[in-house]
Amino acid sequence: MKTIKTLLCATAIAALSTTAFARDLVMNANTSDPAQKEAMENLIADFEAAYPEIDVKFNLYDHEAFKVALRNFLVSDAPDLITWNAGNRMKVFVDLGLFEDVSDVWASENLYEQMPAVVGASSVDGKQYGVPYAYYAWGFYYRKDLFEQAGITETPSTWEEFKEMGAQLNAADITPVTIGTKNLWPTAGWFDFLNLRVNGADFHADLMDGKIKYTDERVKKVFEIWEELVEADFFVENHPAYSFQEALPFMNQGKAAMYLLAPFIVSMFPDDVREQVEWFPFPIIDESVGIYEDAPTDSFHIPVNAKNKDDARLFLKFAAAAENQTKTAGTLDMLPPNINASVKDDRFAQGGFAQLSKADGIMQFYDRDTDPALAKVGMQGFQEFLQHPDRIDDILERIEVERARIYGAL
Amino acid sequence: MFPRPIQESSKSRQLMYKVALPISLVIWLLPMIAIVATAGRSLHDINYGNYWGIPSEWAFLDNFGEVFSSSPILIYLLNSVIITVPSIFGALFLSTLAGAGLALYKFKGRFVIFALFIAGNFVPFQILMIPVRQLTLDLGIYDTYLAVILFQVAFQTGFCTFFMRNFIADLPFELVESARSEGVSEWKILIHVIIPLVRPALAALAVLQFTFIWNDFFWPLILIQSDELRPITLGLTTLKGQYISSFNLLAAGSLIAALPPVMMFFAMQRHFIAGLTLGASKG
Repeated sequence: MKTIKTLLCATAIAALSTTAFARDLVMNANTSDPAQKEAMENLIADFEAAYPEIDVKFNLYDHEAFKVALRNFLVSDAPDLITWNAGNRMKVFVDLGLFEDVSDVWASENLYEQMPAVVGASSVDGKQYGVPYAYYAWGFYYRKDLFEQAGITETPSTWEEFKEMGAQLNAADITPVTIGTKNLWPTAGWFDFLNLRVNGADFHADLMDGKIKYTDERVKKVFEIWEELVEADFFVENHPAYSFQEALPFMNQGKAAMYLLAPFIVSMFPDDVREQVEWFPFPIIDESVGIYEDAPTDSFHIPVNAKNKDDARLFLKFAAAAENQTKTAGTLDMLPPNINASVKDDRFAQGGFAQLSKADGIMQFYDRDTDPALAKVGMQGFQEFLQHPDRIDDILERIEVERARIYGAL
Repeated sequence: MFPRPIQESSKSRQLMYKVALPISLVIWLLPMIAIVATAGRSLHDINYGNYWGIPSEWAFLDNFGEVFSSSPILIYLLNSVIITVPSIFGALFLSTLAGAGLALYKFKGRFVIFALFIAGNFVPFQILMIPVRQLTLDLGIYDTYLAVILFQVAFQTGFCTFFMRNFIADLPFELVESARSEGVSEWKILIHVIIPLVRPALAALAVLQFTFIWNDFFWPLILIQSDELRPITLGLTTLKGQYISSFNLLAAGSLIAALPPVMMFFAMQRHFIAGLTLGASKG
């Protein structure tokens, strides 16, 4: 019995000794990709070098565990800083009153002029609730050597060219597109781009805000165009069985030629394959519609219940500075939101940057722009559609029920 | 009698058995084989989709080295021990007392109390997430080892009491009666008569509880935030990326995390199997 008591006492003392001191800055993050981890550790090390009196405690979670933990620690013993995403994902917590208004940081650092592309995504009702550290373009990562093998010399810029290219690849016995839909979200990239290219950004934004029915003819049009690809065997078989990462070997093995994805994929190409990989933006479908792109934005936020908000604001200012943005985004293979920062000299970052620079507008991403519950049902629908395009009316009906439940009948 | 020794059955049956056994064994062990094979693979192979073939290079040492250098896995292991060991002692201590009480004394409502302990096992503990978190906050022990230990003890005691009560009820009651007639105090009966007899049960429970608590992911996730307090189950997830996972490192880390329960099992194997069947036979 005595041993139990001593053990309990010992643990209680150990627990007490870890209680935070005045200049501790606690940061909880979901940035557990190898590159993300490195970027955060470097940023924190630089911050601690600049402010030696502050000790940053960095608690890393994997994304799924973070989603559970976040909802717990935000309302209880909140950290001083967290990583999260701009757009609707942020708005959910802002609406619950859990994220701190950091408009003062935006004003004092003049971020409105330094980060024009991400003001909208960081704002709810004109106030800013986070400071972005990186954003990135989506596009097709493709293998040059496989394209050449199929006799394709130029990357497609129109829909007709894109379909033609697919036919050529199929003729050469190469699956045009690899996709793993087990995680659902890779399907949403396709839907976003098709809808943006066919119906434009205003329509897409209204759809994301629940102001348009999913059974609308214009939404159906998107799936008709998508179906052209499904019918033409554009996608690898059995894609619901693969996570996005597990679908990548098809490309590395030379069985599939491209992947609609984001820069975090680049580090997963083995060296010999990476030499062959290039990037092109999603082709134009309707000339009369402007170029709109998905550019998800990752940012830092301060929980309302944080204890050390002053030092957290110091960190936000530090992370927003051009030179630190250059470094962080560079390590991540992503783009710095600060226009005075420089984009990494690499073909993917530069290509994405050029595309976003000429874009008429940017969206976040399907599951960041719309309500999370609707996003889940929507993406399940997209996955089913890719397997059974003939069921599209039922699928849209089902998504519409969920939309009506969340946003009300129209 | 069942099962009949295989030697007594016909030749063809014996042959079928000899063919089917290794096959089912391999299928049964496939997940384990996959983890071991992945732990010895380079990320290069995984990116190429070489999951089952011969690895292009054996990377066991690299992967394990990388796990130790890229994450504070020794601290996570130590934290797991700090959480698991007191939890087991706490749960065994309480459940031995409760089990003896329920088995040895004929008082009113004892069946109801026993039923309550059993019923507790049927409550999905996830639904307690928010109240438990709130309770630890109010007690001021949120984000400490103590929070996790207390709740592991609380939740495991129900099952342990069920187990211990049945085991103690199975002992010959005459032992207790004769001790009582000698004038031995109840406390001494427990310590000198009951405890030595229930040792196998305690050992079996200790092994079982060790695996339960060691492998638990949920309560540490809810009750612990600080990296330096995390047990191995939580620590391992940091090897899993938001988008990209190094499956080879994850597999290597999982093997390291799985070793202590396996060693514990082998150390106590004899008691474990004896204890399991003994406790289960009396309802």
